[in-house]
Amino acid sequence: MVSGLLLLALRAAPFPIPHSPFPPQDTTRGKAVYVKWCAGCHGDKGAGDGPAASRMLPRPRDFTGAIYKVRTTASGQLPTDQDVLRSIDEGLPGTAMPAWKDRLSERERRDVLAYLKTFSAFFQDTSQHIVPLTFSKEPGGATSAVALKVGRQFYDSIGCWKCHGKAGRGDGPSAPTLKTDPGEPIFAADLHESWRFRGGAGTADIYRRLRTGLDGTPMPSFSDLIDQKFLTDEQLWRVAQYVRSLSPQRAPEVRDVIHAPRLPGGLPRSPDDSAWARVERYWFPLVGQVIRKPRWFAPAVAGVWVQAVHTADSLALRLEWDDRSESPDTPWLEFERRVLDHVTSDDSVPAPADLWPDGIAVQFPRSIPAGMERPYFLMGTATDPVYQWRWTSMPRQAVAGLARGLSRFDVLGGGSAPGAGARFADGQWRLVLTRALATADTANELQFEAGRAIPVAFFAWDGSNGEHDTRMAVSAWYFLALDQPTPPRVYLSPVVAMAVTLGLGMLVAVRAQRRAGAGGDGGGRSRA
Amino acid sequence: MRLPAGVRRYAEHPFWQAVTILVVAYVVIVFVIPLLPGSALVPKSVVLQYMATVLVGVLIYVSDNEGRWHRFQDPIRAMLVERRLKLVRGGVLVAVTLLVGCFTLGQVRTTVSAPPNLRSIHPAPPADITFRGKAMTLTGLENPLRHEADSLAAHLALGKRVYYENCLPCHGDHLDGQGHYATAFNPLPANFQDNGTIAQLTESFVFWRIAKGGPGLPREGAPWNSAMPVWEDFLSEREIWSVILFLYDQTGWKPRTWETESGKGETGKEKGDG
Repeated sequence: MVSGLLLLALRAAPFPIPHSPFPPQDTTRGKAVYVKWCAGCHGDKGAGDGPAASRMLPRPRDFTGAIYKVRTTASGQLPTDQDVLRSIDEGLPGTAMPAWKDRLSERERRDVLAYLKTFSAFFQDTSQHIVPLTFSKEPGGATSAVALKVGRQFYDSIGCWKCHGKAGRGDGPSAPTLKTDPGEPIFAADLHESWRFRGGAGTADIYRRLRTGLDGTPMPSFSDLIDQKFLTDEQLWRVAQYVRSLSPQRAPEVRDVIHAPRLPGGLPRSPDDSAWARVERYWFPLVGQVIRKPRWFAPAVAGVWVQAVHTADSLALRLEWDDRSESPDTPWLEFERRVLDHVTSDDSVPAPADLWPDGIAVQFPRSIPAGMERPYFLMGTATDPVYQWRWTSMPRQAVAGLARGLSRFDVLGGGSAPGAGARFADGQWRLVLTRALATADTANELQFEAGRAIPVAFFAWDGSNGEHDTRMAVSAWYFLALDQPTPPRVYLSPVVAMAVTLGLGMLVAVRAQRRAGAGGDGGGRSRA
Repeated sequence: MRLPAGVRRYAEHPFWQAVTILVVAYVVIVFVIPLLPGSALVPKSVVLQYMATVLVGVLIYVSDNEGRWHRFQDPIRAMLVERRLKLVRGGVLVAVTLLVGCFTLGQVRTTVSAPPNLRSIHPAPPADITFRGKAMTLTGLENPLRHEADSLAAHLALGKRVYYENCLPCHGDHLDGQGHYATAFNPLPANFQDNGTIAQLTESFVFWRIAKGGPGLPREGAPWNSAMPVWEDFLSEREIWSVILFLYDQTGWKPRTWETESGKGETGKEKGDG
């Protein structure tokens, strides 16, 4: 299909594609590509108002204003062709904008770029000279303690923390007030999730955003602070290096199975227990619940980090997820109202903003399935319920119960609630949930067993984002495995195999040597 | 192209040729193949099979004439007997022993992995369904909007709107099943650009899958684990037929017709890895 389009594009082009960086662009052909692939979000007239737009935050780009976030030009300037092409090619991570590099031919991407520039009069003014800023090379020592300390120091002194927060999770004191130029609510980026940065996750990408700012958003350019000698270019690089150091080296890989090692001692029941530092973390992405009414298209929790351990008789899960507010949180009420105003709802009357709590749910089947079949992942059904732990920030407690679909949750009584320890700090919840592996209510409560693949799923609510009930973030089924300690006899067969191999090898060598000695010149055949 | 004598001695020696072929084959299978468009990482068991095939081929080549076979053995024999190669000999012995140890440990140590996710790709559709209380016969049913040639453009526009308002998060801008929500679901959303989805199906089948979603899949062939919503709760009959028009128009596929269907007998039910 794509190659077909490419072929078509080549055939239709009356001239060979030149190698110059700016080949002639065809706005007529560009329009055809735009109408087919871009207008659904960006709108027929390029105003960022296609049918998909009202269910997206951030909104699709409005090309009529020619204001672009990701540029290499100075703040307030038009982007270069390369800048816009980069966003088309690579997409904008963390948004609905995909990378078109492998989906449209180069010709089509260039043509569509030429066409979308026609939406704004600013690009028609050819007297304007669009020049990228000159960027210096990254200074060495990116990960050294000194570099990061300098970076942290300027992160504070140039005021990054005001929006991005003390720890960089987008929870600064100004964060609830942030709006784009057209008045849409916008989150300050969570600097611990660099794989969602719109302009790329590299240190050089971050440095460029610091130099150019994100036009149309409250994120300013810091180039003038260098001009004013408030800080040096190198020190701005250090800020970029510090910001980069907050996220994992690479985007977390989603793995199917959470391995819970067996601990010899007691369970770490506190969310800050140092024992958790030695346990593997697993990342699970969460997306909006868009399956049952009312759907939710703008979830605030991008995913959850999960760790698990067990002892002879109990299990502990630690869940960590970034959340900009300890809901219910009055300063965020206005932000929540803007979110609800901007995202189309399935309800005829938009839900009013309210002080909802934060929450998370961990879901298991009622018993470990024998085959491949699991209950319906979206909180079970009336006839095949699922066993869930639900924790809320207000009241701060966890309960266990049976979910029978999205609309019904029956709390189990009689001391069935899991143990819960939660802490909120710097834009992040940390929650430890514990339970005995075996319980008395075997009909309703999952009985955990070591060495089995136990289905598990996660759901999250950010109250300050207007999330409650079906307005939530969801995951698919994954698995939890309580690993058994490897019994010593397992090590027996490798040792035997190694001894046999070594013995045979030595035998072969000795025989070959003996034969070589006997044959004089070693001309006899030996085993290869 | 002439190689320096030192290099040529190795390049023409059957033992080093064999080693080179094995190394190149491994690099190609493990690193080059995944880079080719449309291919994925080669699973470990398949790598093992390929490498075994290459090894057999190499052994046939080196043993195919007596002289070459002897020359092939020379370095091995030298390694085994020569006094000056004592260190190499020891190293090879230890390395082989350790390899065997690691391999055996990997074989006997049990770790819990996700159960295999075998599933049917296209379930057998029912002959009749009830759509919002109205009985519909799927067998022989065609998209009624295709007969309204005058208003086809309007239906397509409606279909496009329905798609972007509802289907986009999972099935994506390019209809390739790679929307920004896609990676959170397993199995992944259907890729309409692929020649194995709507290109193989009648429009009535597509209507049934949209209307009834994951929860409407038949008991046989389970588990499905599909996150596909039940769209009859959201969309009218006309909206569903419109979005189907859009899917075919946007991807360029032609729906399977009932004539080809009856010619081929029953609907194709395929088993595949999710």
